[in-house]
Amino acid sequence: MMHFLLLFSRQGKLRLQKWFLPLPERERKKIVKDMTTMVLARKPRTCNFLHWKDLKIVYKRYASLYFCCGLESQDNELLALEILHRYVELLDKYFGNVCELDIIFNFEKAYFILDEFLMGGEIQETSKQSIAKSVEASDMLQETMEEYMSKPAF
Amino acid sequence: MENVCNLGVNGNNSLLSYITHILHPAFMLDKDNKTCPELCYILGLESILVKVRLNRRGGADELGSEQPVAGFGDWNYCAAKDKVMTPSVRLQEMIRVIRSARTQGEERGIIQRECADIRAQFRQGDNGERSHSLAKLLYVHMLGYPAHFGQMECVRLIASPRYSEKRIGYLGAMMLLDEKQDASLLITNSIKNDLSHSSQYVQSLALCTLACMGSAEMCRDLAPEIERLLRASNSYIKKKATLCAVHIIRKVPELAELFTPTARSLLSEKNHGVLHGAVVLITELCERNPDTLNQFRKAVPELVQIMKGLVTSSYSPEHNVAGISDPFLQVRILRLLRILGHNNETASDAMNDLLAQVATNTDSSKTAGSAVLYETVLTIMDINSESGLRVLAVNILGRFLLNNDRNIRYISMTSLQKIVQTDHNAVQRHRGTIVDCLKDQDTSVKRRALELSLALVSAVNIRSMMKELLIFLSTCPPELRSQTASGIFNAAERYSPSKRWHIDTILHVLTTAGGDVRDETVPNLIQLITTASELHCYTVHKLYRALVKDISQQSLVQVACWCIGEYGDLLLKGECEEIEPVQVTEDDVLDALETVLQSHMSSPATRGFALTSTMKLSTRITDNVDRIRSIVSIYGSCIDLELQQRAVEYNALFKKYDHMRAAVLERMPVMDKNSPGHTNGDTSGEIKEPDPSKPKPVEAGLLAEPASQVCDLLDLLGGTDTPIQPNPAPASTATTTSSADLLDLLGGLEPTPVLQTVTVTVYEKNGLSLKIQCDKQTETEVTVTLISSNSTQTDITNFNLQAAVPKSVQLQMKAPSGNVIPAHGLGQVTQTVLLNNPNKVSLKMRIRVSYSNQGAVHQDTVQIDSFPSPASQPSISPL
Repeated sequence: MMHFLLLFSRQGKLRLQKWFLPLPERERKKIVKDMTTMVLARKPRTCNFLHWKDLKIVYKRYASLYFCCGLESQDNELLALEILHRYVELLDKYFGNVCELDIIFNFEKAYFILDEFLMGGEIQETSKQSIAKSVEASDMLQETMEEYMSKPAF
Repeated sequence: MENVCNLGVNGNNSLLSYITHILHPAFMLDKDNKTCPELCYILGLESILVKVRLNRRGGADELGSEQPVAGFGDWNYCAAKDKVMTPSVRLQEMIRVIRSARTQGEERGIIQRECADIRAQFRQGDNGERSHSLAKLLYVHMLGYPAHFGQMECVRLIASPRYSEKRIGYLGAMMLLDEKQDASLLITNSIKNDLSHSSQYVQSLALCTLACMGSAEMCRDLAPEIERLLRASNSYIKKKATLCAVHIIRKVPELAELFTPTARSLLSEKNHGVLHGAVVLITELCERNPDTLNQFRKAVPELVQIMKGLVTSSYSPEHNVAGISDPFLQVRILRLLRILGHNNETASDAMNDLLAQVATNTDSSKTAGSAVLYETVLTIMDINSESGLRVLAVNILGRFLLNNDRNIRYISMTSLQKIVQTDHNAVQRHRGTIVDCLKDQDTSVKRRALELSLALVSAVNIRSMMKELLIFLSTCPPELRSQTASGIFNAAERYSPSKRWHIDTILHVLTTAGGDVRDETVPNLIQLITTASELHCYTVHKLYRALVKDISQQSLVQVACWCIGEYGDLLLKGECEEIEPVQVTEDDVLDALETVLQSHMSSPATRGFALTSTMKLSTRITDNVDRIRSIVSIYGSCIDLELQQRAVEYNALFKKYDHMRAAVLERMPVMDKNSPGHTNGDTSGEIKEPDPSKPKPVEAGLLAEPASQVCDLLDLLGGTDTPIQPNPAPASTATTTSSADLLDLLGGLEPTPVLQTVTVTVYEKNGLSLKIQCDKQTETEVTVTLISSNSTQTDITNFNLQAAVPKSVQLQMKAPSGNVIPAHGLGQVTQTVLLNNPNKVSLKMRIRVSYSNQGAVHQDTVQIDSFPSPASQPSISPL
């Protein structure tokens, strides 16, 4: 089971945090701090796995953004790399050539996509198409209404 | 969506047709579900919205004339309310402004303003902007600013009938609430309602939130709903419900039974999402309950079939990842098979062929393939697989070890670590490659290689492996140094070919990484040095040289000081065969010690070592005793209390007790590693079996002696006064009273041992009587002697005592004096128990007595709540 997924920039700015275990705010902040310092200190072309307390940390850098997750000891690190990659693919498909700014300005969308992909720290859907379809349908449900509301009365 | 808005102007009918037109593909085609709630959901809502707007244009503000679409009464209401809208800065604009801040202070200012705005918005209540405000707050929260004031807003938004508000509300709940807050209780009902909502997307939000932050209470309340959804026909909901069930079981394990029957049927599902969820759910169920595990072993053929289907299926673009068909699902199935096949022959047999097939046919050139292969190897090593298959698995790991990708090498070593105990020789074959990985640039890889290398050290390869490990120690990153050092110490202790080699190795570690070794290293090494008496000269020379070279490694300096103090005479003699002789003068040695004493790098403990060492030298050298005298007197006014005390004592030794100095400063006797100072009482709190094979330690015998003397006398007395007592009760009174008398008698003869001990009978049954004696050694240490005697007519055999004490107390049971108690009170069994009570809690002890008498086996437990102490029991005291 994945315990958390963090996205942060090269400067250590948090861009997305998903916690699959209930942790007090202070502890979350501590983990975020530990993860950013640990991962950012890594040299390029080193391996993508780290050990932290009793968790396996798997991280990967995509352009300016680091994707980092904490796994339990039975979890498969290589598969976690695939999970991170799949998430990037999903973001890429949704935003069209995704960049850090897309995730900053549409962070809630990034969460919505993640919630269709992972749930309770496990993968919920292994097909990219299905995820894209359900995110699109949910968006449509939201937008049709919002657009109407933001239109001035006539 | 722009089109849809433009259409609003055209009126109701065209909008309807348009929405039907554009939404059709999204909602109707991919499901053959004829009633499509989403469509109604939007259509119903939108038509009302248009109606409201049209009305407003026409000036008719009342909605009453329009008949709302059946079942959407509340939608109508909120749409009407949306007419009042306060403009506020949009989310993205706020983000832009925050990002434009040049300093932290500026950013803080902007955020404070925004938060004030957001609070105001929340207070205003339902105005259609709430979801934007909450979204803004979530951004602020991500930047690390407090956002707890949004918690109630999440609760309110979740209860909103609008999807857009619900969506943000649930997102906020997952980020801002944790299960301890009361607010999370408030959303339970909303989640419950949403779980049976007509729209699957609303249901999905509720499921997702439950799986993310559902507390145990929430899980208990909602478990039946989830179980119902597991049997839904909609696979989109079903896959989410399975993962919800997994979360519920993790939170409330006793709810597992509720999901067990449905879980099995989910395996026949075709949808990969549901199938994956089902496998995760079954894994969770099996890991928690051995009965369920047995039950699901019957599903092995089914799982093998699914896996075979994945491996042999033709290319399917939907699930293909780098040529592997759904690696996510494959890995989870392999993991479940591992649990099912563990220690079970039948289940293992059923999956052998499949595992062989996956292991040989999976292409490992990409990560996805390697992930599947890695999982396969783990499964093969963990089940009762055929030996050929195990060889194949180890070879795959060997191949991984040579891979260019560091990740794969890392994985390979992690797995080899797991099997190094069971398949030691197979792993040993890859030793060369593993040792090479010690030289890798990557700390993660180094760490794995180090762990594995340490596990591979054996008596055969100790010399070559140690050479590598010592090189590694000198170059390794600081965070690995202490692990390496203690690993080397352990290996050296287990496999050292000679004492000299052992000492050399430890000294080497101390010179390279003296700051990173654990505290017990120093006493351990000193103990080792004292036992190697033929090496004293060699060791002291070597340490002296190391000390002259470098005084920054504290542990090394401490050992060096100790040895110079003890074996200073050998150092000054300068005759050493093994080492190139160097003439060391007395002044040189004292200079070195004085440097240590004065150096700012020396810790207080090190200075203590150095001062004592200087003092010890006063009997080992001839000319410079006055210099030592002055050094010692200087530290008599040292600011460090410990050092000062030592110096004052040594000074007194010089002045008042000079005649005793030589005797006091004698060489230390050889230390015994198993003396009480070295053992740690880690077994405290549990009943400890006395080990009869262990010879009785000397000090226990000494302690027990005075007690048994007294009792021997008691027995003699018992024999004369009351010949044979068939009735045990009077016997006990006789003993206690007579013991008091006797103590009086003894008091005149031999007062010391008796003064400290008091005897109390704690157990009296079937002719067996058990007495305890307490002897307080120090404030924290108590010696308890258990004395058992037998007043029946037959011998008591298989006599055994077990003792338990509170957790904070350390207990050490010495061996009993025997396990047979002779009949008629003619002998007794004593057993000494040492208690260490560092926290000074009130002492309690529970003793379990078991013995056989006349063919019957007895067992009893006695609880001793207060221990007799000489002070509290004046009545028994002798004078």
